[in-house]
Amino acid sequence: MLQLTAIHKAFQQPDGAVPVLQGANLNLNAGASAALLGESGSGKSTLLHLIAGLDRPDSGDILFQGRSTRAFGEAEWTAFRRRDLSLVFQQYHLIPTLSVMDNVRLQARLNAQLDRELEAHLLNRLGLTALTERLPHQLSGGQQQRVAIARALLHRPALVLADEPTGNLDEHSSKAVMRLFTELVKETGCSLLMVTHSPTMAAFLDHRWYLHNGQLMAGTE
Amino acid sequence: MKPAWIALYWVVTSLISHHRRHLLQTLFLLVGLVTGVGLWSAVQVINAHAQASYAEADQLLGAQASDWIRPLSDQAVSLQDYIDLRRQGFRQVFPVLERRLTTADNEPVWLIATDLLSLPTSDTETQTAATGAWLGLVTPPYQTWLPEGLAEQLGLNEGDQLALADGRVLPPAALQTQTQQGQRLFMDIGTAITVLDAAGFSYLAVSSLSPDERERLQAALPEHLQLIRNQQRLDLTELTQSLHSHLNAMSLLSFAVGLFIVFNAVRFSLNQRRETLVTLREMGVGVGTLTLAIGIETLVWSLVGASVGLSLGYALGLFLLPSVAATLQNLYGAVVDSQLLLQPSAWLLAWLITLGGLLLALAWPLWQQVRMPILAARSSGEHWLADATARHRLLLTSVILFGLALLIYPNLKQLWQGFAILALLLFGAAFALPSLLAGVLKALVRATPDSAWLWRWALADGLAQLPALRTAMMALLLALTANLGVETLVGSFRTALESWLDQRLAADLYIQNDRLDLSHLTAAPTPAWLAASHQRNGLTLRWQQRPTQIRGLDTGAPDALSLPMANSSGLERWYQGEPDVLIANEQVQHLAGVKLNDWVTLPSPAGPTEWQVVGFYHDYGNPYFQFYLPYQSVVQHWPNAAPQGLALWLSDTDESLVQAEQALIEAGAQPGDWFEQASIVDVSLRIFDRTFAITAAMNALTLLVAGIALLASLFAIHDQRLPSYAHWRSLGLHYREWLLIIATPLVVATSLTWLASLPLGAVLAWILIQDLNVLSFGWTMPLQWGLTPAFRLAGLTALVVLSTVLISLVRLHWQMPLALRKLGGNDA
Amino acid sequence: MNIRLIGVALLFAALEASAQDVYQVLRASGDGFEQVTPGRALSFPEDHLAHPEFRIEWWYLTANLTDDQGRDYGMHWTLFRQSLRPDGATEGWSSNQVWMAHASITTPEGHVFEERFARGGIGQAGVSNQNEPFNAWLDDWQWQAEGLEPLPATVDFSIGEQALNLRLDASTPWVLQGDRGYSQKSAAGQASYYYSQPHIQVEADYTNDQGDVIVLSGVGWMDREWSSQPLAPDQLGWDWFSLHLDDGHALMVYRLRREDGNHDLSGSWVTPEGTSTSLGADQIGIQAAAPVSLQLGNARGVTLPLTWRIALPEKSLSWEVEAIYPNQWLDTQFPYWEGPVRVSGSTGGIGYMELTGYE
Repeated sequence: MLQLTAIHKAFQQPDGAVPVLQGANLNLNAGASAALLGESGSGKSTLLHLIAGLDRPDSGDILFQGRSTRAFGEAEWTAFRRRDLSLVFQQYHLIPTLSVMDNVRLQARLNAQLDRELEAHLLNRLGLTALTERLPHQLSGGQQQRVAIARALLHRPALVLADEPTGNLDEHSSKAVMRLFTELVKETGCSLLMVTHSPTMAAFLDHRWYLHNGQLMAGTE
Repeated sequence: MKPAWIALYWVVTSLISHHRRHLLQTLFLLVGLVTGVGLWSAVQVINAHAQASYAEADQLLGAQASDWIRPLSDQAVSLQDYIDLRRQGFRQVFPVLERRLTTADNEPVWLIATDLLSLPTSDTETQTAATGAWLGLVTPPYQTWLPEGLAEQLGLNEGDQLALADGRVLPPAALQTQTQQGQRLFMDIGTAITVLDAAGFSYLAVSSLSPDERERLQAALPEHLQLIRNQQRLDLTELTQSLHSHLNAMSLLSFAVGLFIVFNAVRFSLNQRRETLVTLREMGVGVGTLTLAIGIETLVWSLVGASVGLSLGYALGLFLLPSVAATLQNLYGAVVDSQLLLQPSAWLLAWLITLGGLLLALAWPLWQQVRMPILAARSSGEHWLADATARHRLLLTSVILFGLALLIYPNLKQLWQGFAILALLLFGAAFALPSLLAGVLKALVRATPDSAWLWRWALADGLAQLPALRTAMMALLLALTANLGVETLVGSFRTALESWLDQRLAADLYIQNDRLDLSHLTAAPTPAWLAASHQRNGLTLRWQQRPTQIRGLDTGAPDALSLPMANSSGLERWYQGEPDVLIANEQVQHLAGVKLNDWVTLPSPAGPTEWQVVGFYHDYGNPYFQFYLPYQSVVQHWPNAAPQGLALWLSDTDESLVQAEQALIEAGAQPGDWFEQASIVDVSLRIFDRTFAITAAMNALTLLVAGIALLASLFAIHDQRLPSYAHWRSLGLHYREWLLIIATPLVVATSLTWLASLPLGAVLAWILIQDLNVLSFGWTMPLQWGLTPAFRLAGLTALVVLSTVLISLVRLHWQMPLALRKLGGNDA
Repeated sequence: MNIRLIGVALLFAALEASAQDVYQVLRASGDGFEQVTPGRALSFPEDHLAHPEFRIEWWYLTANLTDDQGRDYGMHWTLFRQSLRPDGATEGWSSNQVWMAHASITTPEGHVFEERFARGGIGQAGVSNQNEPFNAWLDDWQWQAEGLEPLPATVDFSIGEQALNLRLDASTPWVLQGDRGYSQKSAAGQASYYYSQPHIQVEADYTNDQGDVIVLSGVGWMDREWSSQPLAPDQLGWDWFSLHLDDGHALMVYRLRREDGNHDLSGSWVTPEGTSTSLGADQIGIQAAAPVSLQLGNARGVTLPLTWRIALPEKSLSWEVEAIYPNQWLDTQFPYWEGPVRVSGSTGGIGYMELTGYE
C-alpha cells in the first residue's frame, strides 16, 4: 500500500548540507501498522513529513497504492491529505474554538462523507459521548488526544500517520490511549505508521522499522 | 563600575535583545509611534508656525506695520494722498494693494503688491537680498512672484502668465517670494495697478510711529483718511483659536490611533517577553532593577520615536501647510509664511507626549508582567479565553467614560469641554467594541446550522482572532467615526452654505467697484433691463474687542426681504425702519452672548448709540460681528459710511444681461468691476472647499494609520497562529477554505465596526455642529445626515482590509513550507 | 570730473544686481541710450533739468560750514537719477526712472548720513519740468530754487532728528569742465557732460538732535553730470578733492586708481572770477600719506589715507590736505569716505575729499 524507494533527503544548514535520509526503503501493507523507531534527530519526523507531502524528497519515490507521488502537485497532495491521510500529533492540534463534536467531524466534513454509525462507535469507544459539546480546553490531555484520534479515523483514511501521539501523556494514559488507537485503526481498516522512540509504544504495532544512518531496517521482534 | 550597574546593563541588554529577534514587532511598534507622533507633531508644528505668523501680523512684507491709513469709506487711497504724505516727510508710510482675484479656472487667489523701493525696512540684509530680483518686478514684461506651493496649485511654471476670469492676464510667474508674502501673489504695485486698472491703493501701511510722529501724521491726514492701529496680531490670535483647537483635537486623535498600534505590538511581544522577564526574575533580578530597565527601554523608544516622528511630522507639516494656510487666509485673512520652522519647544513637547504614550502602551503592560507572582506569570493558559476578562474590563471602562460624558454634557460651556466629551464618547465606544464583536460572533456561531459547519468554524475562529484584532478594530472605529463625524460636519456646512449663498446672493449682478457712480441707472425711472437694485453702505468699527461690520440695507430690496434668519422676533419693526432696531449675525448671539431683544451699544462719531436686536441671521464664514441696519440709519449715525457694493436684479428678458453690461460700460465700468451671481457662488464654494482641505487630509491620514494598525494586527495574528494554519493544511484544507476561515471573522468584525461607526459618527457630527461649531465660530446649521460618506468609507475600509489581507496572505504563503516542516515538532 | 559718475553708477548697480555683476552692469555699452559726444553746447536753464534719455545723472552739493565759534561743519546732499531702460517711458507707474538721494551732516559732535530710494514717474522724487522754478526732491528732501536757475536756492533735508536748512547763492558763472562741458574719461571714449559751481555762498540753520538751532555759514560746491556709459573696465577706485583756497581760487583734482597700478590724474583750476583751466596728468602731483585704520563698528574696519600732499608743479604750488574729522565713512549700499578737509601749504583753505575703493 505504501512503498518508499531509495528516499534521499538532506537539509541545508549554515555549515553545509546535512544528509538525513540516504536511500530509505519501506513497505507497508494495507491494514498493517508499523512503528518507526530511531534516535532523536535520526529523521523519523522528516520521513513522516515526506509521506504526508508536507516536504519533498531530494530523490527516490513514494508510492501510494501503487501510484507514484513523484508528479504530485500541491493540489494532488492536498486532496491526498484530505481524503487518504490522517495525521495525529503530540500536540493534538484541535481547533480551540470548535466543540468536541465539530472537531471530530472536521476532516470527514471536509470530505463530505459523515458516517454517523462510525462516529457513534468512535465516540463511544473513545469515551467522548458525553463530552461532545465541550470545548477542547475543557478536556484533559488524554481526552484531547482521543478527540484527535476520532477526527483522524472518522473519514476512514487509507493511512494514518502519527508522530509521538502519546508524547504529552503519562505512561498509564499513554498505554490506554495507544491500545484504543491501535484497535480502532484495525477496526476502521486503516494502515498506521507511527513515529516513536518508545519501544513500549512500538510494541502495540505489527511491525517495527528502525531508522539508522539514514536507512531503514526492519525489526524482527 | 558597581555590580548593580553591571546587572542593570545585562538586564537591559536581555530586554532589548527581544527587538532584534522580532524585527516585525519592533517595526510595527516604531510605525505606530512614528505615525502617531508624526501626525500629532505635524499639526503642532503648523499651529506653532501659524501662531508665530500672527505674532508677525504687525509686519507687512518684511516691514513693520503698526498702523494703517485707510479711507473713511472703504474706497481706494489715491496716489496723490500718498505722495503728499511722503513729501511731508512721512517715510514710514508705504502703499499696499490687496486684491482677491479669480483665475480663468474660477480659482480664487490673493494678491498683495507694494513698492519695494519705498518699503521702510531697517534691515538692509532683506533689502539687498530683495533688490537682486527687484529689477525683474519693475522691468517689462514685469513679474508675478509666487511661492512654489501656490504655483503648483495653480499649475504655473516659471514664465507662465496667469489668466484671470475677467480676461486680464498677469505678468509672467517667477518662483520667488517677498518676506511674509504667504500663499499670495506678489507684484510691484505699479504693475498691479496698471494690470488690474486699480483706482489706487487698498491702504497705506505705516511702519513705526513715535507718539509725536503719530500726532503729526494724524494732523497731516486729509479729512477722508483715517489712521488705524494695527490690531491684527491680537485679533488673529483670538479669532483663530478655535481652528487651532480643532486641529489639535484631530492630531491628538491620530496620536491615539498610533498609540493603539504601539499597544498592539507591545501586547504581542508580551508573549515572548513574558518568558524573558520571568526567567530574569527566577535568576534573582529584583522588581526594582527590572522596572528601571523597562524605564530605560521606554526612554530609548521615546527618543527614537520622538525624533523620527518629528521628522515625519515636519515633512507632513510641509505637506499640510498650504491647506492650513489657505484655511487661515480664507477665514481670517491671516498670512502664514511658506517657510516652516521647527522650534525647540516642539521637540520637547513631541518627546514628552511620546514618552507619555509609551509609558501607557509599553511600560505599563511590561511592568504589570513584572509585578505578577512568578508562578502565575509562567502559566500562560489559553490566550483567547483570558481575553474575555480584558474585554469585560474595557466594557466597564467604556461605561464609565460614557457616564462622564453624560455628566459633562449639560454643563458644556467651553471648547475644551466639548473636545473632552468627544474624546470620552469616542474612547467609550472604542472600548465597548470588543465586547460587541465577541457577542455578535458568539451569537452568529450559535445561529449557524450544522450544515454550514465551515462557516461556523470560520465564525468561531473569529473569537481566536479577537484578542489580536480588537485593538486594530478599536483604532479603526476611532478613525471611521472621526471621519464620518467630520465629513458630516463639512457636508452639512457645505449644504447650509450653498443655500445661504443662494439666499444672500439673490441678485443677478454685483458691482464691486464703488468708485462708479451708477445712481443714474438705479434712480427712477429705471432702465427697462433693471428689475430692482440694492445699494448697501457700511463701515467697520470695533465692538466687544472685535472688528465689527455695520451694514446699511435697503429694507425693501428683494434680498433684504428674504434674509437667511436663524432666529427673530419682531422683525417687522426692522422692516418698518424703526430708528433703534437692528438685526445681527449669529456670531453676535453665540460669541458675544447677546440674546434676542437685548440692547447693544455701538460707538458712533456722535457718541454711543443704543440698539435693540430683533433678529439673528446666518452669516457663514464671517469671523467678525456684523449688524444690519436700515440704510438711512447708517447714513444718519455714521456719515463716513461708504458704499458697500451694488446688487442689480435684471428683468426677465433675453437681452437684459447684455443691456446691463452695456450700460455699465457706458457708466465707466471695466470688465471685472461686476460679477455674475453664479460666479460668486462658485468662487465662494471653492474657497470653502479649500478651507476644509486640511480636514480631508487629516481624515485620510487617520484612516491610513488605522489601516496600518489593521495590518499590524493581521501580521501578529498570523505569526501567532502559523502552526495552526500548518496543521489545517495537513488536514487537507484548501487555500480557499483557509482564506474563508481567516477572512470571515475579519469581514464580520470590520463590518460591525463600520456599522457601529454610523450612529457614532452621527453623534459626533451632531455634537460638532450643535455645540462645538457654535462655541468656535458662532454658526448654526442643520445636520445633514447622508449615507454617501458612510458608503465611501465602507469602500475605503474594504480596500484597506483587502490589501492588508492580501499582504499578509502573500507573507503566509512564504512562511507556510517552513511551518509545515516544523509541524509536530516541539517548538510548534 | 567723472569720478562721482562712477560712484552713482555703482550705487545703482548695487541696487539692481548682485555684487558679482555690479561692474558688468556698469560696463554695459549703454546701447539705446543717448551717447555723450563732443561739441554739444550746454544750454541753460534746460540742462539743469533731468536728461532721462541718458542712463545716469546727478545733482551733487557739498559745503564747508562754520558756526559762530569757528568750529567746522560739513554737508553733502545728492540726488541721483538712473534710467533702467532706454524706452522713453518716464511718467506713470511704468516709468523707467529710479531715483536715489544721499546726504550727510558733519558736526564737531559727529557724522550722520542717510540714503533713500524712490521710483520715478509718480511724483515721489524728481526734478522740475521746464519753465517751472528749479526743484529737485525725493520725499521731503529738496532743493528749491527761486527761479529757473538752480541758484539762488534753499536746500532742506533732515537725517533722523537732525535737520539742515541751507540758503545758497553764487555770483560767478557755471564752470564747464573738460572741453566746454564735454568731459572725456578714458581713451576708449567714455565721457560725460559735466559742469560745476565751485563758488557758492552758503548760509545755514542746523537743528541738532536736542532741537537747538545753530546758525552756520561757509562755501559750497555743486557738480552736475550725466552720461550713459560711465565706467572703464579697469578702474578700482578713486581719490577726489574739491578745495576752496583762501585766495579765492578753487581746485579740483582726482586720482583714478587702475588695476595695473598706474593712476589717471586729472583736475581743474578755477580763478575767483570763475575762469577755469583743465589740468592734465603731467600738471598734477598727488601723494598719499600712510593709511590709518578706522573702526566702523560691527568689528569691521577700513584702512585708508586721510592725509595727502597735492602739488601743481608748473605753478610751483603745493598743499597738505588733511581730513578734519577722520570718521566720515558712509556705510551705505556703496560704502565710501566723504568729508571736509583742511588745506595748508602755499595757501590755506578748506574743501571736500572723497575716497572710494578702500577696504
